[in-house]
Amino acid sequence: MKPISRFYFNICLVLLSLIGNAQEVSETKKDSIPLKKERYGFRLGVDLFKFSRSFYEKDYRGLELVGDYRLTRRHYLAAEIGNENKTVDDDQLNFTSKGTYLKVGFDYNSYENWLNMENIISIGLRYGVSSFSQTLNSFQVYNPNPYFGEEPIEIDGTQYDGLTAQWIEVVAGMKAEVFKNVFVGFSLRLNRLVTQKRPNNFDNLYIPGFNRTYNGDFGVGFNYTVSYFIPLYKATVKSKEKKENDKKKK
Amino acid sequence: MKRILALLLITICFSSCEKDDICAEETTPRLIIEFYDISNPSNLKNVLNLKVKGEGATDFIVFNESLPIDNPNRYLFGGNKLELPLKINDSITKYSLILNSTSTTNANEDFLQFNYTPQNVFVSRACGYKTIFTLNAAPDGIIKTDAIVPDNFWILEYSILTTNITTENETHIKILF
Repeated sequence: MKPISRFYFNICLVLLSLIGNAQEVSETKKDSIPLKKERYGFRLGVDLFKFSRSFYEKDYRGLELVGDYRLTRRHYLAAEIGNENKTVDDDQLNFTSKGTYLKVGFDYNSYENWLNMENIISIGLRYGVSSFSQTLNSFQVYNPNPYFGEEPIEIDGTQYDGLTAQWIEVVAGMKAEVFKNVFVGFSLRLNRLVTQKRPNNFDNLYIPGFNRTYNGDFGVGFNYTVSYFIPLYKATVKSKEKKENDKKKK
Repeated sequence: MKRILALLLITICFSSCEKDDICAEETTPRLIIEFYDISNPSNLKNVLNLKVKGEGATDFIVFNESLPIDNPNRYLFGGNKLELPLKINDSITKYSLILNSTSTTNANEDFLQFNYTPQNVFVSRACGYKTIFTLNAAPDGIIKTDAIVPDNFWILEYSILTTNITTENETHIKILF
């Protein structure tokens, strides 16, 4: 698994470089150094976590495409679009949730690259919308006093259509270039529901894109992406940033 | 960087509590019956050695869980507030109530049949669904019959206080004896 080991090597590099940050600043920035140019463009990719889960988890099918566009030196416009179909088998309930979602927002790259590296350690925000349906496959009535015997599992099959949800996501992520223009990365997400359309006599227990709901309005997410960078143009690093670096030196 | 690490930690914490949900809400209620004194209808009155068995159940209702299984006193009830489970997948539950069940001469059996409509209501992820009941309007909600060998009624009067059986926090039926 050469790409994977490279990826970890890159991560180690990234982490090591953080320790050595101070040295880096003091060594650079002489006027004779040619102007630093950075590439701008689109990055498109796929979430391998959802993709692989579709194979090893029989109750899950999902696909997520990710993309971002470099707006400024540190800001990226980012989006994810995906589709999920998940069957949850809880103690009292068995239901299937399926639908499509879109998340749009931005990432802020807080990592200072050296030379012409383009790695990213980012924090960002997304606004997510999901349109989905839930099917209650079966349930068992909760009866704390089963005097007449245990309650049978009732096959239901009611489908609750036209459900929607909107939420805000905080994203912490990392991307590293493993080959030329090929990036591998992962992100962790904390989600908070803003609004949702609840089914009658049921609840939104799993929302595609948002995942399982905790306490009714809280969720977590993860993705592991492989993406390809399409460079569009190059821009020199602005002098404003140099000034900022000069300030940091003092 | 510290912020990102903090976020990572929080996320890991939350991802590990997948199965911690425990059903804590009130779910399927039982029918709550209170016994009153016929000579003084505003006073609660304790029944004596009442044994209760539902039609279709394998055994009498256990009221004294702490007693060993072979002790017949497990099934005796001596209070004034009786809780009876209703059948969830049926619209009829019939109970046999035997007063003075330990006495060979004084035991008196009456039957109460409850007619109702069950309804499944969603509670939460952990609890799933509960069943609530609506008793049929009088006189159909409760039907009182005597033992096969008639021994007169010990239940002299009864009344439905509410037909909506949704919680155990209120009394649904009042019995005078």
